[in-house]
Amino acid sequence: MARIVVVTSGKGGVGKTTTSAAIATGLALRGHRTAVIDFDVGLRNLDLIMGCERRVVYDFVNVINGDANLKQALIRDKRVDNLHILPASQTRDKDALTEDGVERVLGEMAEEFDYIVCDSPAGIERGALMAAYHADEAIVVTNPEVSSVRDSDRILGILASKTRQVEQGGDPIPGRLLLTRYSPERVERGEMLSIEDVGEILAIDLLGVIPESQAVLNASNAGQPVVMDMESDAGQAYDDAVARFLGESRPLRFVDAPKRGLFGRLFGG
Amino acid sequence: MSASPSSVQAVELKGRMLLVSVLRVYDTEPQNLSMMLAARRDEAPELMRDMPIVLDLEPVAEAGEAALREVVERVRAEGFRLIGLQDGEAARALESADATGLPPRLSMGGRGGSGELPLGEGRAPRETADQGASGEASAATQSASGPVAVHSATRVVDQPVRSGQQIYARGGDLLVTAPVSAGAELLADGNITVLGPLRGRALAGVRGLVTARIFCRRLEAELLSIGGHYRIAEDITEAERGDNRLVTLAGESINITES
Ligand SMILES: Nc1ncnc2c1ncn2[C@@H]1O[C@H](COP(=O)(O)OP(=O)(O)OP(=O)(O)O)[C@@H](O)[C@H]1O
Ligand SMILES: [Mg+2]
Repeated sequence: MARIVVVTSGKGGVGKTTTSAAIATGLALRGHRTAVIDFDVGLRNLDLIMGCERRVVYDFVNVINGDANLKQALIRDKRVDNLHILPASQTRDKDALTEDGVERVLGEMAEEFDYIVCDSPAGIERGALMAAYHADEAIVVTNPEVSSVRDSDRILGILASKTRQVEQGGDPIPGRLLLTRYSPERVERGEMLSIEDVGEILAIDLLGVIPESQAVLNASNAGQPVVMDMESDAGQAYDDAVARFLGESRPLRFVDAPKRGLFGRLFGG
Repeated sequence: MSASPSSVQAVELKGRMLLVSVLRVYDTEPQNLSMMLAARRDEAPELMRDMPIVLDLEPVAEAGEAALREVVERVRAEGFRLIGLQDGEAARALESADATGLPPRLSMGGRGGSGELPLGEGRAPRETADQGASGEASAATQSASGPVAVHSATRVVDQPVRSGQQIYARGGDLLVTAPVSAGAELLADGNITVLGPLRGRALAGVRGLVTARIFCRRLEAELLSIGGHYRIAEDITEAERGDNRLVTLAGESINITES
């Protein structure tokens, strides 16, 4: 039975899709049979980040509606074994995600995969609720600024009551924080919240901190999840996050501003 | 579905906080309406019992004046305490046709309860004022003759209360052993204790218990209210914020002390 992981945030544009792609790829690289599903119906872009946009024939909504079966819709990643992508439909809206349909598709996928990563749309509406409903755990993606933290807090509140596990009388699903686009320099200058600030407000376990990095943009232009770029800071930070996700303990990296030398301090402006 | 799920709102009326429930009607067909009202009562009976209701007829503004008036009558007949009509097209049409027996128009804020404070508007709602007064009167009796059984039980919450969440301890005290986020709202007929930082809104004694208190490990609240009197974040000084704060009502003013 697969473990279902929702990547969610409330606020838009904070790095959910980047994270979904990186975590799914990282899990597959470690040999776990992994699928990543784009729940952002109408605004699909997971396939772009995964570099498979030109191989999309059928999508999630097609499978829900019975126009295609899972085998036809799942795209096998060309670079990484064990990795599959279920793209979203660009032409439909989120109402196309019916409760029964999502449940049936996830149920079918659960037989074949170890992990199913659900890339949630922004917001707290239907699409986001659908992505979270069947999850066994959540990765909450947050940027170090007040509005993103507030939205993550809101999503955590929703996760506490609106999952199948809770509705069936179980405990709320565990949620862990992934702080992304972290810029130690800007934190030092007081322009961004620090890890401690965010941790204090959200009061949940920290899965990782991903630095603000040009490598993320390069990766998405290349259609290659940033975790595959192990030369880069963001790639390594995502790799750490995947390791922690699987229970390893790794120290945080890329969270301190580089110490400027005397020269830098004198002439650094 | 013919009505939205329960939404409780703390609103400001004549400078005081009052807890009301907004009933949004989507269907005027009598049978559907009755079913909806019954469902509404079952869905959250503890919230509905004698909480004042503001009726929002705007979604069915097209239904015509006779049908709308019938909805008003039916809501009253079902025993809901109607104190106002959501201001808008429907309410104005009804009022201009015949204002007798209609509750006043009130302008409520958006859904969900938390966020900015919606303001009362239009005619002053007399029933509300009366209710506030009687609330004070009964509270006065209480302090004279010792605590009456206003609170019966303590509701305990061990999970963080997050932005957008609302917790109401009806008929009792509320104890939260975790943080309360900005954008969250705590309500209690009795006292409120937060054994963590309080960054959201806390309204104690919402049905008029002026002797109610609020205690929190750390006070960073957005709003504090006791027995209908309140203070917003802007009026809470830096010195009043901090650890181990006790909030009480003295006369009409909210006092914050370290304890
Ligand atoms: N660590 C990072 N460093 C720099 N840029 C980043 C980082 N993470 C994400 N971005 C950029 O932020 C933008 C939004 O990222 P992404 O699409 O992953 O967010 P999202 O949360 O999925 O957005 P949406 O809510 O629209 O689905 C992209 O342009 C991405 O390249
Ligand atoms: Mg996205």
